[in-house]
Amino acid sequence: MISREKEFAQLIKDNQGLIIKVSRLYTNSLEDEEDLFQEIVLQLWRSYDSFKGNSKISTWMYRVALNTAITLFRKKSKSLPTNELDINHRDFIEDDDDKQQQVSLLYTVIKTLPNVERAIVTMYLDDLPYKDIAENLGITEVNARVKMNRLKKTLKEQMEKYA
Amino acid sequence: MPEFDLDSFKKTWQEQPVQQKYDNNEILKMLNRKSRNYVKYIFWISVFEFLFFSVMGLFYFFQGEETNGFLNVLEKLGAEKTPEVENNFDNIYLGLKILSLLVTAYFVYKFYENYRKIKIEENLKGLITRIIKFKKTVNAFILISILLLVAFTSIFTVFVFYALNSQNIDPANSAVTIFVIGITLSTGLCVLLIWLYYRLVYGIIMRKLDRNLTQLRDIESQEN
Repeated sequence: MISREKEFAQLIKDNQGLIIKVSRLYTNSLEDEEDLFQEIVLQLWRSYDSFKGNSKISTWMYRVALNTAITLFRKKSKSLPTNELDINHRDFIEDDDDKQQQVSLLYTVIKTLPNVERAIVTMYLDDLPYKDIAENLGITEVNARVKMNRLKKTLKEQMEKYA
Repeated sequence: MPEFDLDSFKKTWQEQPVQQKYDNNEILKMLNRKSRNYVKYIFWISVFEFLFFSVMGLFYFFQGEETNGFLNVLEKLGAEKTPEVENNFDNIYLGLKILSLLVTAYFVYKFYENYRKIKIEENLKGLITRIIKFKKTVNAFILISILLLVAFTSIFTVFVFYALNSQNIDPANSAVTIFVIGITLSTGLCVLLIWLYYRLVYGIIMRKLDRNLTQLRDIESQEN
């Protein structure tokens, strides 16, 4: 019989892309990124028993991952100052692929946003419904929509400015 | 760059190649690493406690000022420093010191034995079991140290009354009352502080550790 621990490890392995994305968006060094990844895995394990499948796996994972990043990793998840955009962007220019360059730039731009806004964009990009985004962050659905509309504009401006 | 639209970019974002960094075993290790650190944390607190109590015990063993201090207290209470009193007190004091040293030596041996087993223990469940066993040894040591402290002060108090009685001094005077109250309060306070420390430090940590252990046992029973 497969143990609960192994079942959990498989779940994390299959969904590690989500955790890697959050870890990358909330840290500014590879070391912190790995630390945050481990911390998120632990928090997910702790709440695994209480996860009853009422919500989608990705919604639950986002909720735990973002809460961990925002609350436990508060100091390390500081937003990048916008003037660091140039420097950070330069690091990604090396990417061969055009699309990859854009993805890298988007990461850097998202990292300049405050923590909650960062969370909204992250979930929005992965197609989570507004209802789940709002629930995960403890805000109203209307508020999430309003914020996201503003964020779309901000991101568009930044992306076009630094492209 | 052409106009950037976040909605049209969603697909690219979702399809970004994310390197699969960790396999199942590495993820399992992550879960255990934290518990292992946690266990190590308890272990080092225990080491510190043990060293603290041993050093305190040895310090009092080699420091010989209690005899004079005690006899001064007796003088203040109105008794005289007779050779008989000094001799009796020295004998009792030596007996208690030897007892305390023997207890410490026994626990140093037990402590080292447990420590060595922990160092070579690799399996997490085994590690937690050993740490709990190790913790019990340290708890026993501290409990006995407290009992020795209480025994020491009780014998000391009884001896004061014995000395006063043998010199026909009325023990009802206010100095004696203050002395008894003082010694009872300070011993009580010591015991209370140690008890509080235990409730705070271990009440929480040990409960969590027990829960981890139950979880590990569950996993093991599921595997079998």
